[in-house]
Amino acid sequence: MTRASEKRLTLVWLALSAITLAQYLSMSLGDHGAYRPNPALTVSVILLSLIKVRLVLMEFMELRRGPRLLRRLTDVWLVLTAVVLLGSYFAGPLLWAQ
Amino acid sequence: MNELAIPAAQAHAKEENSSGIWFFVFFEAFLFTSYFAVYMVQRARNPEAFLQAQAQLSLGVGVVNTLILLLSSWTMARCVQAARTGAVRKAMRQALLTIAFALAFLVSKVSEWATEIGRGYSFTSNEFFSFYYFLTAIHFIHLLIGFVFLGLVVHQLRRPSPSQSQIETSATYWHMVDFLWLNIFALLYLIR
Repeated sequence: MTRASEKRLTLVWLALSAITLAQYLSMSLGDHGAYRPNPALTVSVILLSLIKVRLVLMEFMELRRGPRLLRRLTDVWLVLTAVVLLGSYFAGPLLWAQ
Repeated sequence: MNELAIPAAQAHAKEENSSGIWFFVFFEAFLFTSYFAVYMVQRARNPEAFLQAQAQLSLGVGVVNTLILLLSSWTMARCVQAARTGAVRKAMRQALLTIAFALAFLVSKVSEWATEIGRGYSFTSNEFFSFYYFLTAIHFIHLLIGFVFLGLVVHQLRRPSPSQSQIETSATYWHMVDFLWLNIFALLYLIR
């Protein structure tokens, strides 16, 4: 591989690991690590995870240089997943509370 | 391989990845989103029970497992790039590292399950744990299948003329195992 592409992969991996550690710290320190509902932290954790997933798809799986259709499909899926997860989290209690 | 050949090699990257594996990857991606939806809806129905059960998971083990899979994706991507430029020995090293990380995840996951079952948390303990075992077990099965793909990479790299297409198809599958876990980790271990 070229030095530039090798460096890029390393940067992506570092970013993925750093985001993971940030998510971990935010949950273990936020609200004293309590297991209580925390919408702000939950939203950030979910969005950060989707950013990580996008990084894996675009950089490790090389969709960045792949067919535009796959890139579009990826973003459609990411947005759909975000809507589904966040939608259930916020609207859920209103619709389903027992 | 000289520097001029590399752009040509990268141009070929688009064609090397067979479309079949991408159909599968997106199918699995949407499928898992539907599983997550069911989990989130059920969680919204009974947040306190889910939070209490979730507290029994080891956040630290979850993070370590996530970091291990991210490492494996990194080495897998390095393997593909090395193979593409003909650096077969380097590619082989990266492939073997990927297998090592995959094994580390496997051992970690099985021992985590053993610990939880030992503490009395099984599939039928409560609703959260049903989802936990279901999602992590389905992911684990994908991981096991991943070993076959990783084996194919090693097999190709041993041949005089490794099939870049086969290597990239395997890599695509492996990265899917990684990104599926990234969401599972967030939803089971992190969210409140």
